[in-house]
Amino acid sequence: MPSRVRAWTLAAATVIALPHAASAQNWRNVTMSRQISGEDHLRVQVSYGAGHFRVKPTSEAGLLYSMQLRYDEDMFEPHADYEGDRLHLGVEGIGKSIRLGNNRSSGEMDLSLTRHVPMDLDLKFGAVRADLDLGGLSLSSLELSTGASESTVDISEPNPMEMRTATFEVGAADFTARHLGNLNAKHIDVSAGVGGVTLWFNGRWQQDTSVSIDMGLGSLELRFPEGLGVSLTKDSFLTSLDSEGLVKRGDSYYSLDWERAERKITIDLDAAFGSVKVVWVR
Amino acid sequence: MLRFGRFLSGLTLATLCLPPMLGAQERTVVSKEVAVGRSEASLRLEFSSGDPLEIALRDGSVFIDGEATGAYMSGDALDTAWRALLGEAVSLDDGALSRRLEEWTPPSDLSGDRLTLATTIDHRLEDALHGPADVATPNVSVSTSGGDDAALVKALLGHAGRLATLGEALGNVGPNLKLHVNEDVDVRAGDKIDGTLVVVQGDARISGEVDGDVVVVDGTLTLEKGGTVSGDIRLAGSTLNRDGGTVQGEVVNVEGSERDVEREMRDRVRTEIRNELRNEIRDKARSGAASSFFSPLRNVFGGLGGLIQNLVSIMVLGLVGMGVVAFAPRNLEVVADTARRAPGRAAMVGVAGTFLLIPVWVLGAIALAVSIVGIPVMIAWLPIFPLAAVAAALLGYLAVARNLGEWLGDSGYRYTDWIRKSNPVYTIVGGVAGLSIFFVVANVLRMVPFFGFFRGLLVAGGVLASVAAVMIGFGAVLLTRAGRRPEYGPIDFDDAWERSVGTEPDPDTTASTHGSSSTNEPGDPNA
Repeated sequence: MPSRVRAWTLAAATVIALPHAASAQNWRNVTMSRQISGEDHLRVQVSYGAGHFRVKPTSEAGLLYSMQLRYDEDMFEPHADYEGDRLHLGVEGIGKSIRLGNNRSSGEMDLSLTRHVPMDLDLKFGAVRADLDLGGLSLSSLELSTGASESTVDISEPNPMEMRTATFEVGAADFTARHLGNLNAKHIDVSAGVGGVTLWFNGRWQQDTSVSIDMGLGSLELRFPEGLGVSLTKDSFLTSLDSEGLVKRGDSYYSLDWERAERKITIDLDAAFGSVKVVWVR
Repeated sequence: MLRFGRFLSGLTLATLCLPPMLGAQERTVVSKEVAVGRSEASLRLEFSSGDPLEIALRDGSVFIDGEATGAYMSGDALDTAWRALLGEAVSLDDGALSRRLEEWTPPSDLSGDRLTLATTIDHRLEDALHGPADVATPNVSVSTSGGDDAALVKALLGHAGRLATLGEALGNVGPNLKLHVNEDVDVRAGDKIDGTLVVVQGDARISGEVDGDVVVVDGTLTLEKGGTVSGDIRLAGSTLNRDGGTVQGEVVNVEGSERDVEREMRDRVRTEIRNELRNEIRDKARSGAASSFFSPLRNVFGGLGGLIQNLVSIMVLGLVGMGVVAFAPRNLEVVADTARRAPGRAAMVGVAGTFLLIPVWVLGAIALAVSIVGIPVMIAWLPIFPLAAVAAALLGYLAVARNLGEWLGDSGYRYTDWIRKSNPVYTIVGGVAGLSIFFVVANVLRMVPFFGFFRGLLVAGGVLASVAAVMIGFGAVLLTRAGRRPEYGPIDFDDAWERSVGTEPDPDTTASTHGSSSTNEPGDPNA
């Protein structure tokens, strides 16, 4: 429940910050990059307030990260702090007054990360449109927090490392996650405040996984590939469930081939208001 | 000892000023930051050894590692060339980046201070990219004169405080140096020196030819008639006495150039302040002149403009009222009836409704966003709800104006005889005019001097009247669901008359009245 409160708080803060995003004026373009220099593990934190946010793996060997930014220099400033095994990237507000109107295009941030250094990745973004491709990154953990955004996360290639936990905290957002199987995570935690959430459980499952989903107000769509064993336990208040392809046994719903499935995921769903829809994908 | 002294003098000069010419090793760039904005174009590099290099053209000044080293103009050749370089650097990393930065040379169309500045940037880039020089094999030939080398080294070290100046003065001189310390040099007519002539703490007189640069630190350079210098003359704490002669390069006063930069920046700031002050004074003078010219008529024009504005507002609202009378007369009637019979209740509902507008709007949008079917409805909800609220307030205002118009029509005032109660358009226009009367009088008073206070009072009264009308009308609209649900039934005038004169109602009439009242809606107090 605290995570839900946090998601709501994040959504409220994002709504307050929206005028910042709408009043961009003096654009500044910044390009930053750093070479790999013997790192064996990295804790990467990325924060971004408003605009279009893209993350992808870099294709250049030897490059630790590369970042292109476009932002209003009157209201934001970039940061790229690298110290020890910590890398902190992004754009932060500089606390100037809010200007209303004069909404041109918003800022942008393109981030490319190395595939070759294992990392704990922490992504925080507010009122943004986010397109994240985390495929092929060596992730030992993943935390993603988003405010009022339209976000798509795709793990297009399997994670070569086993991940402890992947956490997605979604405020008021339209959020889609694809190829969650490629995360190679032991546990996936999704907390959503308000909005529509679509989770694709396709990809290459290398281990059984437990999934916790905490929904506030909104619609949730769960898309499973055929052959994946699914167990769903629902604790809800006013939430409808379209449990296509699941049979109820006791307090839980199970996929038809639960016993025979090579890989199984156990979903614990806590939803307040809204709808949950299950879709099976060939 | 002699060999050691020669080594030291070579080392001093090599360390001071000639790294680009030395056999240095290329360094690895581990981090790059390129920032380009309207008033800034900067490059920050970090090398494998951890030391950074930052070169920034920012707000008219050139900064190298945070230190202002010169000035530029936005869009000039230096700014353009630097931005072009950064444009290429954005897509390059490590070796390719180093090579491109090293290849960069000042643009050929630069001259004077800008060229010096660009050359400094070029040297700093090359210095940083090559790293520490390999001093074991200096690729420089130094010839010295004046006593033994130990004395020369002693003299150099004795002026350690001037070494930085010497380094600055030597700048980008050629590789072949003739160094003289604490002695005067005389290049006679017919003599020729190949390479750079450097004189420290001494005077130089040139009547012959120097095929290179001449550098004088803390001394006097005299260029005689017939004397020729094929390169630059660089002076540091020195003076130049020129009696003819030819200098094919430039005469640069190194310390003076630093002062020139400061002076240039100071002059620029002073010019900007002066221009701002001048513009401000000019604007004030213009506005003052305009004010003094129009002041007798300004109030009259302003008042007339306000009156025209009032008239247009009354006309527009009257037209809207005509539309309402034409298309929704029953709704207007019901709302006006409720506003007349229960103005206090309607006002309270109106105030509460106004405060609830935004929460209802937001919560409604959220509630609709829950379901996929509701999302298209939400898209319509977002613009339609505010429009409906405005329409409701307008309908309520017109209903209250209609009531006021009726009252004015009944009042018997001389100027309201034209309001005919039988025609709701007249009553609406009359009511709107009545509600606007405060503003009209305020604009009339505006044309007359010394009535500012009363004018303010009238405007405040007009605003209060308008707000009250909107609140009452909006509340009545809410109570009657936009006039679709009457709060009160029709008045039985016969019954009211008989009750008022104290006679018993006629049974037939009463029966028929009750019969008709039974058709009233549930909850009707008359039923």
